[in-house]
This record gives sequence, C-alpha cells and structure tokens, in this order.
Amino acid sequence: MTEETAASVTGTDLVIRFVGESGGGTVTLGDVMVEMFTQLGLDIYTFQTFPAEIKGGTVMYQLRAKSGVTLSPGDSVDILVALNREGFSLFGDGLSDHAILLYNSDEFTPPPDAARVDIPLPITALAREEKEAIRHELEGEILKRLPPPVNTVGLGALMALVGAPLEPAETYLRKVFGRKGDAVVRMNVNALHTGARHVAEQLNGRQFVQVHPVAHKARRLMVTGNQMLSMGAIAAGMRFYAGYPITPASEIMEFLARELPAFGGTVIQAEDEIAALGMCLGASYAGTKAMTATSGPGLSLMVEQINLAGQAEIPVVIADVQRGGASTGLPTKTSQGDLNLAIYGMHNESPRVVLACSSVEDTFWTTVEAFNLAEEFQCPVLLLSDQSLATRRSTVPPPDLTKLRLTNRRIPTTEELAGGYVRYRDTPDGVSPMAVPGTPKGVYTSTGIEHDESGDPAYSPEIATKMKAKRFRKLDALLERHGRRLVRLWGEHGTADVGIIAYGSLEGVIREATERAAGEGIRVAHLQLRLLHPFPREPVLDFAQRCRVLLVPELTWSGQLANWIKVNTNLDVVSLRKDDGLPFLSRDIYNRIVTLAEKNLVRSSRS
Amino acid sequence: MTSLAVAEGRQLAPKDYKSDLPPIWCPGCGDFGVLSALYKAMSVCNLDPDRTVIVSGIGCSSRLPGFVATYGFHGVHGRVLPVATGIKCARPDLNVIGVGGDGDGYSIGGGHLPHAARRNPDITYLVMNNNTYGLTKGQVSPTSMVPLASVGARIDPKRWKTTPYGNTETSINPVALAVAMDCSFVARGFSYKPNQLAEILVEAIRHRGFALVDVFSPCPTFNQDQTDEFYRHRTFDVPADHDPTDRSAAFALASREDAYPLGILYRHPEKPNIVDEQEFLRKRWKHPEGEDDHLALLEELLGRFT
Repeated sequence: MTEETAASVTGTDLVIRFVGESGGGTVTLGDVMVEMFTQLGLDIYTFQTFPAEIKGGTVMYQLRAKSGVTLSPGDSVDILVALNREGFSLFGDGLSDHAILLYNSDEFTPPPDAARVDIPLPITALAREEKEAIRHELEGEILKRLPPPVNTVGLGALMALVGAPLEPAETYLRKVFGRKGDAVVRMNVNALHTGARHVAEQLNGRQFVQVHPVAHKARRLMVTGNQMLSMGAIAAGMRFYAGYPITPASEIMEFLARELPAFGGTVIQAEDEIAALGMCLGASYAGTKAMTATSGPGLSLMVEQINLAGQAEIPVVIADVQRGGASTGLPTKTSQGDLNLAIYGMHNESPRVVLACSSVEDTFWTTVEAFNLAEEFQCPVLLLSDQSLATRRSTVPPPDLTKLRLTNRRIPTTEELAGGYVRYRDTPDGVSPMAVPGTPKGVYTSTGIEHDESGDPAYSPEIATKMKAKRFRKLDALLERHGRRLVRLWGEHGTADVGIIAYGSLEGVIREATERAAGEGIRVAHLQLRLLHPFPREPVLDFAQRCRVLLVPELTWSGQLANWIKVNTNLDVVSLRKDDGLPFLSRDIYNRIVTLAEKNLVRSSRS
Repeated sequence: MTSLAVAEGRQLAPKDYKSDLPPIWCPGCGDFGVLSALYKAMSVCNLDPDRTVIVSGIGCSSRLPGFVATYGFHGVHGRVLPVATGIKCARPDLNVIGVGGDGDGYSIGGGHLPHAARRNPDITYLVMNNNTYGLTKGQVSPTSMVPLASVGARIDPKRWKTTPYGNTETSINPVALAVAMDCSFVARGFSYKPNQLAEILVEAIRHRGFALVDVFSPCPTFNQDQTDEFYRHRTFDVPADHDPTDRSAAFALASREDAYPLGILYRHPEKPNIVDEQEFLRKRWKHPEGEDDHLALLEELLGRFT
C-alpha cells in the first residue's frame, strides 16, 4: 500500500472505485455509499468519469472517505467494485497493495493476482432470489417493472467489507423505498443483509478495512460543484437565468428551473446559446441580475455578445463548465482548455473579467464574487469551472451567509438625473451611472456602436480613444481594489524551493502534494489564482520573488496558463500539462515537485 | 397580467416621442415613414416613454431606437428577439418594441422567429423590409425579389452585387411563415401609407402577445426595383370581410404572390404567453419580499443538502 493512502486498517482514509456499464446502477451505488459515509461523519470527495453515451460504455465513480479534510479523490484505490468485465479491464489499474476487489462473479472472473484480495459476489443471482421471495405479494405490472435489488446487495456487501453498521443503511432504504410499499422495503432490507452476510462469510473474521465514525458538531453539506454554483448565484441575487443544454453544465439550468421560481426568478431554456446570452443581456439591462452557464462549444457561440456586454457596459455572468477536447471532443471529460477563449475570445478588444472556481466550497463564494464584480464594473464576468469540479460531490461546511456582501450597480443620483442624465459619463474609475428602465429622466440607448458619454453614436478618433480608455480604466480600478484579495496562498510563506502557480479545480490535488512534500522537508509555496483576467501581476511577481523555481500545472495541451503568465510577467516557468480528459493525480504534482527540488539542490551545490 | 404602461395624467403628442438625435437615413428612405407612424401609434397608445424600451439589431433601420425619446437597446446583428424577450420576461411592466430590417430579422436572426412565436411574449416586432441589405450597400437579402439565374438574363451586375447573374435562391414570405408558426399577431404595412401603418401598429402594440408587423420600406439607394411605385401597384388592403382568426384564410391571404395584402392578416388572441406562464409558475410559492426572506429561503435550500 502506498504511503499516501494510509493503511486501510485504521479506516480513516479510504478510496473506493466503482466501475460498471453506464446506466447500470454504478453511479447509484456510489451515491448511496456517499450518503452512508457522510452519515458516519467522514469527509467525502468524489470523481466521476462517464462515456459520452447514455447507455453502454463504462462509467467510473471514485469516492474517497476520510476522517479529515479531503483534498483529492486519492491516488490509489483500496476497494475496487467491478460490476462488469469491461469496467475491470479499463479501470482495474491504480490499485494499492493488498487492495480488495469486490466483483460481480455472475459477469466475469478476473485473472488471479496475489497482490489483491478477491471477493466474488454473485450479485445478479442474489438480487434475483430476493425478488423471487416477494413475487407472490405483487401485482403483474408492478412486479414486471420492479428491478432486482442489485444495488442494495452491493450496498450490504460494501457495508460489511468496511465494517460499518447496517442500521443507517436500513433507515436509508426505508426512506427511499417507503412509498413503494412494505414488500419492496422488505425485499431491499433483506437484500442488504444478504449482501452483508455473503461478504462476512468470505471474510471469515478477517476485517481488512474498518471505518471509524466521526462525530461532527457542525452541520455539513453534501453537494456538487454545479449545485454550489447555482446556489451561489441565487445568494448573489441572480433572478434571471437563460441557458441551452450542454454537458457538463446542464445540471445548473435543471437546478435553477426547480429552485429559482420560489425566489421570484425566471428561467428560460433558450433556442441556442446566442439567444441565451441575448436574453441575459436584456434582463440585466432591465435591472435584473442575470446569468447563463455553458461549456466550451456554447461559449464560442456567445463571443460576439460578450463584446456587446463589454462595449455597452452591461453586467452579466457567464459560467463556463469546461469539458475536454475541441469541437465535440470529450464532452463528458474534464479540461482547462477554455482559458484562452475566456481571456482572448473577442473581436477587437473590450473589458471583461475572468474568475475561476477551485473547489466545491469555493464555488459558492467565487460565484458571488462574479456577480459583485459584474455589478461593480458593469461588464461581463466569465466564471470558469470544469467537469471534474462540477460533478464532484463533496462534504463542505455550509456557507456562512452572515458573510454575504452583495454589490449592486451604480445607479444615477437625483442630481445626475435632474442635470441631464449621461449614461456613459467618463469618471476617474471608468464606472458610470446606469439607469434602470422605468427611471424618469433616465432614458438612454444602450449600444455596442462607439458612442460619446451620452450614448449617441460617435466615431471621431478622439472619442474612440477616450471611451475605450474609460472602459478599460475599470480593469485598473478592479486590480487596485481587489487584485490582492483574488489570489490565495497555500503552503510555505517564506522562501520556497518550488513555487506552484495554478487555478481552478487543481487546488485540492496541489495542496495535498504540497503538504506531502513539506512533510519531507521540501519547501513548497502555492499561489492559486482566483482572478485570471485582468491578470493580478503584482501578487504573482511578489510570489515569484520568493520561489527558486516556478511550476505551472494545468489541464491544457499547449500550456495556456503558463503562456498567460509569461505574457504578463515575463517570468520563466516550468509548464506541467496534460489534456487527456482526466484530472491530475496528487502524485503527478508531487513527483514533479521532488524532481524540481532535487535539480535545484544539485544546481545550488554546484554554485 | 400585464397591460400597457401609459403616461399618467397627460396626453403625449407624436412629437413628444422624438429624441434630439436626427435620423441618419438617406433622403427618400422608407424608414422615415415608419418612424412617423411609430411616433403616432405611440401617441395614440399614450405609452409612457420612461417605461418603454425599443430594442434593435444592426442595419440602417436598427438605428431607430436613438431617434425615439424612450429607453433603447441597440445590440448586435440578428438578436433583437432574445434581448427583447429577456427584457419583457424580467420586467413585464415595461412596453417592449423590437425593430430591425429584413436581413436582421429573417436571415441572421431568422432562427429566433419560431421561438418568439411559440413563447409569445408581449412584444411588438416591427421589421422594415426593403428587400436588400442597405447598410452593407446592396447585397441580396432573404426577401429580395431578384430574378433567378435561369431567367435573369437582363440582370444588372452593378445593381445586385452578390447576385450579378441572377439569384440562385428563392425568397421567403415572412408573413406566410409567421402565420404558419402561429405567431399570435401578423400584419403587413407600407411606409408610404403611414396612417394605415400607424393604425396597424396601434393594434400590434395593444395585442397581448408577440406581434410581427412586416413593413415594405423601400430603399431608394440600393434597391431600384422594389420602389414605392412598385409597391403602390402591387399592394391591396386586406378585404373588410377577412376574418383574421381564421388561420387557413390568413395563410391563403398571406401567401398571395401576385399582389401583397396590407393590414392585419392573422390574430390568435387567446394564445398562451411566456410572461403569464412564468408569473403563474412563480405564484406557486409565496415570494420572499425583504432581503431577510431571501436569506431564510436560501438557508432552507442549503439545508436540503445536509
């Protein structure tokens, strides 16, 4: 067993991977285990990777349960639950030494491996028997539609395997199946015990893994990144959403369609991404905070109107849940490949802000930040997330709403309205008063054509320069007011052997790698960029000064972040990149830290 | 339930809707007549300028919002309807009028038309149809009547820049299309009949739902074929006995190609609309009012994830 996945005998840090056919219950079983571990007080971090098809193909669901803060899905797997042969052959690697393989013995038999403890479970047959047992109690149609309780047998088996009590699982099953009647509840409870008994017999007294419940005083949430983004937007005062379905962002629209009406808000499924952003701009112009969420292909359709928002100075938030590949690419996989599009995706130039969410907990607050900046500076804000973060389920402390501070756009004062309202007035920070339609004496035309301060079309070189300078001055004001606040420092606070600059969902794996390296005496500092554009140059340069070498890990092919840093600072950085659809493992980062630290030692001993 | 936002306690004249900005159109442009008719219709409806928004796209006609003393939104090419829909759904209390040209509405923005028709927000959409692209100086548009290549031997290459040897595509009939889409109000006007156009616009503005008004608005600079003379001879008023709620009759009338009917072609007054439906949906919950209410509701939502 590798050192970073603590020996499972203590049961404090456990990685379980579920693999099986997409649509075949693998995700459900993973979700149920998440529920169980959460009830036991453990901290959860999940990673899911799907095929692009609804049925068929293999889904992988990895879940890490830990008795402390969980920063990554884990580098190696302690328990592999393989429901079919294909899943086993695709995702059967990365096991820790003496890992346990729980497999569906009705489907396949894995080749023997002495390094593994194999537990066969005839899950299909056992589930069928449980259904047979209640057959006489059910009507024809209900009986026909009732699936054999395969997942429940699996649940029982797993609970026994990790030495957890069955009571919470029983309570859970009664809750979930209660409305389907006594017979169905009994079938599931029996299936649970059957699965548990089957494993207990094979373990025969040996308990390889033992989870220890943790008592939590504080309330905790079990949420995904997409759910947190949606709730952050509601918290920020967003009351208008328009979007077009796209993986992996659709869950945001689905969530808001359910929840936003109760807040008095509106959700529209638009005919395409162009219409979605157009609707948001209309709503925001009319005074309602608005958002759309999409993924790369959709974002590229929005580019023209992002410039309109910049030029006409309309606040709007555009969330981009990044996915893998160009064109259709790897629609269900993760990537950070839209950074260039977010920063440079425009004709000519207009001001915009690019922010990135870094963890499920952070997603709430960075989303609030996105709305506040959009309102303060009356411009579009692109909010980056990615597939691995968006679908990650994580235990997090509930956001403390007493810390919620909302910014609203600057509206004209009575004096400004009385003296002949000037919508695009040139001000020291570039921010002008924005009248909401319905305001008497506030009429103006919002426009993307170059205009003078009043909003009337004007194209002289003087006006063009003056107004462009006015709009871009807002970004200077943003950096001055918020630049230092919108980066986070982790790890070493003094001189560092290795400094890491990164953004987004890599936060957790980098922190874990940093902590591990620090434990071995390597001084590693980590600068996490929440703000990517305008570029927070000063905090980055300050950081670079105390690092002997800079490492920039990112999920892109060409090193988009490394390039963006170089363009802005001229710093030499070591780029660590991959773009294969999967996130970095913590050990990928750790290994590079070690190599760089060793190289430095060699270099400094020579000098 | 929304109704028109009107100026309280005062009657506004057409000139009260004029802004200080003079129109930039060519002499003889049909859009002048459309603008006068719009001022007149707004005056008849006594629309409150402070609670009225005119949304446009890009093109000569899309400069119109600047010439009206109301709120305006001059956006990008072809996106009048999404922007107008966003405004109306976020703020049902505002009067929303969309304007633009045939290229903006039927070509680059054509994909939004069926969706505006099915959502049916209370928006008046005025398309100034000059059968060409004027602002880009005379290319073929989806409503251009350029003879086909197979029969267009006498086409003047200087006159039709992207169809110098004749058109290789046929044109669309926007009003027949709109009836087919069950757009809840479909009418056609002519800028050289400003009084009739004003009357049509009054009806369109008062209609509760999405109203498409296609207006023949000749371009004397780039279209020497579809002139005011051309339309004077090829238009007729919708017969007095036409029943606009009869969809088949409306479709037949709208589809006439020998001559073009002017007036209200189709009405579907009871068609559901998105603004009312959204309001209905929100009413299922007791709306939070103050900031504290919103926070309490948010706490409850977060609590569902514990």
